Amino acid sequence: MLDHFAAIMVDGVLIGLIYAITGLGLSLVLGVMGIVNVAHSAFIMLGSFFAFELFERLGVDPIVSFFLALPFFFILGMLVYRVLLTRIERVAQAQGLVAMFGLMVLIENLGTIAWTTDTRVITAAYTNSSLILGSVFLAEVKLIAGALALLLTALIWAFLRFTLVGRAIRALGQDRDAAMSVGIDVRKLSAIMFGLGIACAGGAGVALAMIFPFSPNTQVQWLAWAFLVVILGGLGNVANTLWAGLVVGLVQTLCTAFLPFDYVYLVLYVLLAAVLVVRREGLSLAARRAI
Amino acid sequence: MLSLFFLPSTRETAGRRVPSWVLWVVIILGLAVYGTFGRQLFLLSTFGTVFLYVVLTQAWNILGGYGGYLNFGMVTFFGVGAYASAILFQYFQLSPFLTAPLAGMTAAVLGLLIGIPTLRIRGAYFALVTMIITFAVQILVLDVPFTQGALGIYLQPLQLTPLGVERLFYFLFLGCAVLVTVLVYAIEHSNFGWALIAIREDEDAAEIVGVRTVEVKWVANVLGAFIAGVVGGLYAQRIMYIEPTGTFAFDISLNVVLMAVIGGAGTWQGPLIGAPLVLLVADTLRVTVTSEVNRAIFSVIVILIALFIPGGIMGLWTRWRRRRAEKLTAAAQIAAPGEETTD
Repeated sequence: MLDHFAAIMVDGVLIGLIYAITGLGLSLVLGVMGIVNVAHSAFIMLGSFFAFELFERLGVDPIVSFFLALPFFFILGMLVYRVLLTRIERVAQAQGLVAMFGLMVLIENLGTIAWTTDTRVITAAYTNSSLILGSVFLAEVKLIAGALALLLTALIWAFLRFTLVGRAIRALGQDRDAAMSVGIDVRKLSAIMFGLGIACAGGAGVALAMIFPFSPNTQVQWLAWAFLVVILGGLGNVANTLWAGLVVGLVQTLCTAFLPFDYVYLVLYVLLAAVLVVRREGLSLAARRAI
Repeated sequence: MLSLFFLPSTRETAGRRVPSWVLWVVIILGLAVYGTFGRQLFLLSTFGTVFLYVVLTQAWNILGGYGGYLNFGMVTFFGVGAYASAILFQYFQLSPFLTAPLAGMTAAVLGLLIGIPTLRIRGAYFALVTMIITFAVQILVLDVPFTQGALGIYLQPLQLTPLGVERLFYFLFLGCAVLVTVLVYAIEHSNFGWALIAIREDEDAAEIVGVRTVEVKWVANVLGAFIAGVVGGLYAQRIMYIEPTGTFAFDISLNVVLMAVIGGAGTWQGPLIGAPLVLLVADTLRVTVTSEVNRAIFSVIVILIALFIPGGIMGLWTRWRRRRAEKLTAAAQIAAPGEETTD
């Protein structure tokens, strides 16, 4: 029983790490740019299929795909920013939101045209093997995906903390006007920021594809998870997002262990409603200052 | 409290109004005549669906269009209404025609329950939460015992010919559409409507000048939920079999937003334009391309409209009229000096 429980906890932590990078991109884009990237999960789906295509066609290992996905989705994000986001920033919030939803539906349907609605899995050499620690079984693939997620989180954290560009981005998130007045190029940094957010989504997509089955039209569920992580963790703070991801991961694995599978979503909603009621202003300045 | 909101506002002179009223009456009469004499099953049923979506889009329009709170989970209320009617039939043999108001009430109560925590949060968060709630409710319906889960619920077929059934629902939904449009028109021209618009434009400012923002949003949400619930109940009888996946399809929520945005959210005419247009184009495209391509095309249209044509088709129309009016006044001013124009 204790072993079983330990396995559940480890599982929760590993999945939580992946949820953390799922939410990280959303949280950074929202915190710094003030745009809710509703299409975030659609990019996660693209990340999954990026790994899938590389694996099926060229036999590229998902671990390699993960590192290929980061620059690829970074550039994709910059492109989307240039084409769409610069225009969305100019219109009223409600219209921007509708446009983002449009983008989500567009990507989802393009995905469906390209890959149909079939559910896919990636079966790498290590997919079904597991490590045995004492008497606890650990799925190797989850360890790998969790480690990759942790690495990405650490990279983003270090980038925001130690590089000049990262500091400028944080400044932008703290006070947009002040950042502009000291000469920060908002347009350029926003492009980099959005690129980073999409790179997180792409990486998360690869990591999720290693563990879960995926299809173009189930991507929206990841938006719900990512959003929950963001609400729990507040905006733009890497460390808090990591904790929130771990909490969500643990809640999920504990729920699946003790409740019928479907109820996970209900628990998610109740958690979401509870957090929203408790910290109504949790998404405003107080959390934002922590960037 | 509500009566205060419905004070009529006298804004425009009656003279200009008469022709447009006549036009609407003619359209409704024309539709009624077609409904009585039309014999094509396909057309009658398509029109029925158009009216159904007009009602749903108008219901969405109250909070979403005027209030600026985009509900991406309108199907929650619709589906709950459908299930309320179906369950009442299943256990008490009550016809959905009788229980449609009850279905509306159920949806309204749910709307209140959902609205209390979520309507305190703003903008995009509200949109996302309403979307997530749809999934949660769908799963709940799949899992609780009295909805029969994925099996769904069968309702009793009506003792009518197929044409008679379609005609019945044609008129039912047409009636609902007219009623709801009149309601939305009244809201647009009432203090309640102005309060919602104030919330959309600047919620903090609205609160400062004395709009009870939270209560107004609750009322708008409950009203929309009630309407969607009633239509859901009728819809259950129309298709006679409901199950969670189809009844709570996210596509319905998206369609509603799409129609409102394309037609012009925040105007009472918007849904009247958006719903037929989207369904017409969708039906035309369905013949030529697959539904995925169809939706991809629509999403591009929505992105373009949201970015470049704020206010949708109605926005275009009002801007065009304003420009023409400006041109006319400018021309009149040029002509005015010196001569004694009778105009």
